[in-house]
Amino acid sequence: MFSITVGDDGAIHLAGRLDASRVEQAEAVFNRVTDTCRVDFSDLQYISSAGLGMLLKTQKRLSTSGKSLILVRMNKLVRDVFRIARFDLVFQIDEEENPPLKLG
Amino acid sequence: MERSFKRALGALDDVFVFLEEALAAAGADAQSAYAVNFAVEEFFTNMVKYEPGGGHEVSISIEREADRLTVRMVDSGVQPFDVLSARTPNLLDPLDKRPVGGLGIHISRELLDSVAYKYENGRSTITFVQTLGA
Repeated sequence: MFSITVGDDGAIHLAGRLDASRVEQAEAVFNRVTDTCRVDFSDLQYISSAGLGMLLKTQKRLSTSGKSLILVRMNKLVRDVFRIARFDLVFQIDEEENPPLKLG
Repeated sequence: MERSFKRALGALDDVFVFLEEALAAAGADAQSAYAVNFAVEEFFTNMVKYEPGGGHEVSISIEREADRLTVRMVDSGVQPFDVLSARTPNLLDPLDKRPVGGLGIHISRELLDSVAYKYENGRSTITFVQTLGA
């Protein structure tokens, strides 16, 4: 299963498996992004080259207006694939992110 | 374990169900399972892309011997097309120059221990080996 949701803060949340038969569903959301945007990978178990290509295409489009995707909370297996693709050179990939502080 | 699939993008869900079953039966670790999913999807979608026509099927088999998984994908009734001959895109190019395609084969080769292509009697066979981790 795959799901993509956009939070109130505009951040995109990916969950499940993003493969070639789900990439159009994801692309429909990414195509509407016009500003710098965080993409939360914490619930994404799998991404194939179809998803990588879609993200790269989005990043190229955003960069022409000085915007970008910021990728956060990847699991280790997904991160390995991003490293092999050398996406660390063209994306900001936040390795660790502290959970939000709960006050009061 | 071996199964055949329609050569169509719509068969991908069935391919993943088969992989899950076969990889669990082989006792594959998470990293190896990821590599096999990634590579099978890559080669399968390439087979669909370059020979979308006609009633043929793609068969996929997974065998474990000691700590090595051997995966064989056979595409029948096709012209020879060695996907492994694809050039690796320049991964160090700046964003505006990086091509969107061509990444999948490169990543598959990096993830796997070895990949080979063979063409014989109208059949393309891709065989790859993944050594299981701890």
